Parts: sequence; C-alpha cells; structure tokens
Amino acid sequence: MFEVPSLSDLNIAATLPVMSLVLGTCILLLADLFVPQERKQLTAWLAVAGLGVSLALSLLSLGDVTRFGDGDEAFAGMFVADTFTDAVNVIALVTALLGVMVAYNYLERTGTQRGEYYVLLLFTTAGVMFMGAAGDLVVVFVALELLSIPLYILSGFRRPQEASEESAMKYFLLGAFASGFLVYGIALIYGATGTTGLHDIWIAVDDIVAGDATSQYLLLIGAGLMLVGLGFKVAAVPFHMWTPDVYQGAPTSVVAYMSVAAKVGGFAALLRVLAAGMPHFVLDAGAPAAWQDTVWLVAVLTMLLGNLVAIVQNDLKRLLAYSSIAHAGYVLLAVAAAGSAGLADESAQAVVIYMMAYAFTNVGAFSVVIAVEKDDASNTGVTSMRGLARSQPWLAAAMALFMLSLTGIPLTAGFVGKWFVFKAAISADLFFAVVVGAVTSLISAYYYLRIVWYMYFEEGDGEAVIPWPLAAAISIAAVGTLFLGVMPYLLTDMAREITLAFGG
Amino acid sequence: MDITIQHGVFVIFTLVTLGSALLVVTVRNLFHAALYLMLCLFGVAGLFALLTAPLLAGFQVVIYIGAIAILIIFAIMLTPQVTRVIKTTNAQWPVAIVVAVLFFVMILSVVSPLMDELGVDDWNADFTQEDADRVPDSTLTDFGESLVSRDRFVLPFEIASIMLMAALIGAVLVVSPDAILRRDESQPPPSDTSVSADTGASGD
Repeated sequence: MFEVPSLSDLNIAATLPVMSLVLGTCILLLADLFVPQERKQLTAWLAVAGLGVSLALSLLSLGDVTRFGDGDEAFAGMFVADTFTDAVNVIALVTALLGVMVAYNYLERTGTQRGEYYVLLLFTTAGVMFMGAAGDLVVVFVALELLSIPLYILSGFRRPQEASEESAMKYFLLGAFASGFLVYGIALIYGATGTTGLHDIWIAVDDIVAGDATSQYLLLIGAGLMLVGLGFKVAAVPFHMWTPDVYQGAPTSVVAYMSVAAKVGGFAALLRVLAAGMPHFVLDAGAPAAWQDTVWLVAVLTMLLGNLVAIVQNDLKRLLAYSSIAHAGYVLLAVAAAGSAGLADESAQAVVIYMMAYAFTNVGAFSVVIAVEKDDASNTGVTSMRGLARSQPWLAAAMALFMLSLTGIPLTAGFVGKWFVFKAAISADLFFAVVVGAVTSLISAYYYLRIVWYMYFEEGDGEAVIPWPLAAAISIAAVGTLFLGVMPYLLTDMAREITLAFGG
Repeated sequence: MDITIQHGVFVIFTLVTLGSALLVVTVRNLFHAALYLMLCLFGVAGLFALLTAPLLAGFQVVIYIGAIAILIIFAIMLTPQVTRVIKTTNAQWPVAIVVAVLFFVMILSVVSPLMDELGVDDWNADFTQEDADRVPDSTLTDFGESLVSRDRFVLPFEIASIMLMAALIGAVLVVSPDAILRRDESQPPPSDTSVSADTGASGD
C-alpha cells in the first residue's frame, strides 16, 4: 500500500537549485503584497536575490565544487541532475537576472510597474530549469506549460495597449495549439514504448528497432509531433509564424528575456527527448537516428527563412525576431548532429556553448532597443539607431559588438558558438546543412551591419534613455560577449565536462 | 456476428458523438455550438463506459462537461458579440479537408496493425470486458496513488501545481485590469527616476 516517501529516497537534494528558485518565487509572491506600489524596486531586488541564490547553487554544482544529492536521478528518474542540467540552469538564471535588470526602469516609465512581473518571470525560469532536467515526458509537458503560461501573460503585460494584447492572444492561441501536438506526440510515444520515462524509452527503443515496422512508425510519428510542439517554442520554421508579431507587440523587456529563455528550455527538452531518449532509433542498421534528416532539414529551412526575411525588416524588434528564428536554425544543426552515433555529448556541449553566447548577445541587443524605445512603445525602427554613435558612443559600441556577435565574427561569443555548432554538424557528416549555415551567416552580415552603419555613418538624434540598471545589464552582456569571444577556452573547458546522464 | 445490446449502445453513442461534433463546427450560433460540444463529450463518455473504463467516463463528465464546457459557455455569455458568426468556413476549407483526410489515413495505417498487438483479434470482438479478473478493480485508487507516490508522478504533480498558481496570477492580472489601471492613473509615474541617467540624450 501507499507509504509516505522520505525525502532522502526522493534524492530531493539533487533538485536544490530549481527548488530554491521555486521556493524563493513563492516567498517573493507573498512579500510583494507588503511592498507599496511606489517602492516596487524592492520587489525587483528580492527577485534578483532569489535568482542569485539559485545561480550560486547551480554554479557550485556545475563547477564540481559540490554535488547535491547522490547520483544523477531524483524523484525516481523524473528529474535528471547531470552536468547538462547544471549548464541549462546557469544559462536560464543568467538570462533571468539580465531580464530583471532591463525590466525595472522600462516598466516604470511605461506605467506597467507591477510586482507580478517579477514573480511570473521567475516562474518561467523555473519552467526552463525543469525542462532541462526532465527525465520523463510528463515532466517535459508540465514544465513546458510552466514555461509558457507566464510568458503568455507577460506578452500582454502592457494591457490596455492593443499591440501587446494582440501579441499575447496570438502567442496563447498558437502556443496552446502547439502544446496539443506535444501531448499527442507523448501519447504516441507511450503507445510505442509503453513508458513515458526517458531512460526507459532509451532502453525500449532497442527492442522497437529490432521489432516490427508498425511500432517504429508509431514512434516516428510521436517523435515528429513532439518536434512540432518543441519547434514552436524555439521558433523553428515552419512553426515560426508567431515570432515576429509577438516580439513586436510584447513589451521589449519581456522579449529580451523570452527570446533566450524559451529557446533554452525548448532546446534542452529537444536534446533530452531526441538525443537522450531515442538516439538509437534507427530504421536501417548503421544509419543515423531516424529523426536526424527531419531535424537538419528543419534547421536548413529555419536558417534560410530567418536570415532572408530579416533583410527586408525595418523595425528593430521584427528584425531581431527573424534573427532569433535564424539562430534557432543554427542550434537545430547541433541537435541534428546528436542523431549520429556517439555524438550526443558533443552536441549537448555545442548547444550549451551556443545558448550561453546567445544569451549574452541577444539580451544585450534587445536592451539597446529598450534604451532607444519611447515610453509609448514607438521609435523601434531601424532608423532610430541613426546618430547613436555620436550621442551615446558607449551604447553604440555595445550594440555594434552585439551585432558582430550575432553575425558570428571572431573575437565575439557568437563566433565561438557557431564554431562548435558547425563542428558538431561536420562530425555528423551534415555537410550540406553546414554549407547553408555558413552562407546564411554571410547573408546575415548585411542586416546586422546595416544597423552598425546607421549608428556610425548617418546623422540623427540618437536619443536614448539609459538608467543605471539597464546600463549595468548592457555592460554585463557586452563584457560577457567579449569575454567568451576573446577567451573561449574558459567556456569550452567548462562545456567539456557536460554530459547527458544517459543516451548517446 | 451476433447483434448484442452492446452493439446497439455503441451505435447510439457513436451517432451522438459524430453528429454533434459535426454540428459544433457547422452551426452559426456559437452558443448552440457550445451545447453541441457538451453533447459530443457526453457521447465520448458513453463510449468510455462501454469500453469498461468507468474512471475515464467519469473524468470525461466531470472535467470536460462539468468544467471546460461550462467555462466555454461563460466566455461566450461574457462576450455577446461573438454569438453571431456570419460564416463558419473560409476559403481554405478544401485544403483543410485534404490535410485532415491525409492525417486520418496516416493514423489509421499506423494504428490498425496494432490491433493484433493490443489483443483485439478481430473487429467483431466485444467492446466490453466481460472477464471480471481482467478489469482493474481500483483504477481510481491507482490513479490517486500514482500522483503522490515517490516512484510515480509526484514531481509532475508538484510542477503542475506551481504552473496552476502562475496561471491563477495571470488570470487575475488579465481579468481585473480596472483596479490596477485606476491605481496607476491616480499615481502618475514619477518622472525624475526614469531619466536620471539620461544625460546624453540631446537633439541637435
């Protein structure tokens, strides 16, 4: 019969980084009640404190200073606490810290300063961390919803404004639809393997490969439907339609955060499901995993469409939205590489390196947009960058750095990320996709450098508002981008330790 | 094959389900569509009961009819304009039919061979499990325990509770804008803090 589980049996200590964040968020929710409306900076500070505690715990675990709990699994395999989990935690928490910093003054000057903003942001972060640690398809789904629902609300946070409401509505409707695909996929995978645990699926896949064709096709359709659901979250073509509209309408501080956080969660879960759960799922003996072709094809389409459509964009937020679609394509290349035998760990490392670089760079780029944006959400056109180099030289320099990093120029973090992604893809013999990636990177230089051109070589007002938290966030992002680019070995040495607990 | 009472019940519930499902998407009055949706869900509940899955049938009634359909009706009643739908299809409907049929064929082609594996040896087999030993007698207990037992779904259960709390906060934010907005209007945002570092923003 039922017995009350003891905490040590659950190995609950292994979940300490994310559990501390959840606990901190609940305390923040209560504490916010006692913070008067005109002193909401206190809520922001408390949010930073909660994120900081969790980040410190994650870094301790990642740096191998101390391991929490014993073994890789907690909650009987529902929660995987390997080094990949730690890396995802660190990226998510750094992004959230920057997200709180860029939000504070932005919310105040747009008249949307409410304590719930920080609470929801922290809940989303917990969702990202649970996705990275998911050891069961049910956890993948529930964590995805924990990641998504606060993001829907945050998109509409500027509520009386129509663009913000429209963006929240679009994101919610399409997101709910995508979740339906994900659940359908989970159901079919359960039908094929008889389990939802990823470790058990990993074992069951060998039997299915040896067995009859029907179960194989059932598993293939299940994996495909999960790819649809998660592909929506990371804005991969052809599930990208929502991205430009949502990014343009949502408050820019939300976009700065979610453009990275949703991707981190989505790719972490994709790796858990595809690379850890079913790397041995082959239709012909000796061939790469059955899902590899689909993933690299989606990656190629995503890189092409994102980069080509970005060329004609004249709004900074839309341009960065298409740029974020394009970057999803590069990361998908690394995910596709995980389908070749023995490459799961290398792919996971490439994804971590890329997302770390992308977190600093993309939050930084959106922070600059926040600086030039007016209180009524106008002035986000590309032309608003005119003359910025003269009026705000440091801001312009930071933006130029972010643009170079998004292009993938050496000495910036973006180059390191692309290097490892392409390296993983070449190891997996995905030459065509790598060529497309390299060519589209060249194409992307056009629209990224166009912004640099506007800043440095055209006359204009170049107005910007840079309160100190925003300045601090931009500085951290710029230093991070430069640091990872100049001394890549710091990140790559760390990344070399990253392995998936099972799979590969 | 023998026509049993179960076949008759099956036909009735199937007709109820399919007929009302068709009406959901074709009637122009959105309120009627919601009522047909409830009927459709009730038909599915009947099918579950026929398949010796009383727990699923109960869930179907309590959750889908009792909660979700009622929620839909609330939403319709709170937004009076949406009850008058002029057209229920758009120019894309032929494409949609093709895609739907293709998807159906795909699912059918994958699922139908599985019938053997699942122990359904021929299409005339009885729906209802007559053998009492093969019917689990405590599905509800199993379900409840699996949500909280340590080697089952306790972690997703906890995450779901966090998620519901986040959704609750969001719902409050979304549906009660008046109080919040009025409070913001009564307190104009202080203008000195946001531009304190705005030293370089000068137009020339």
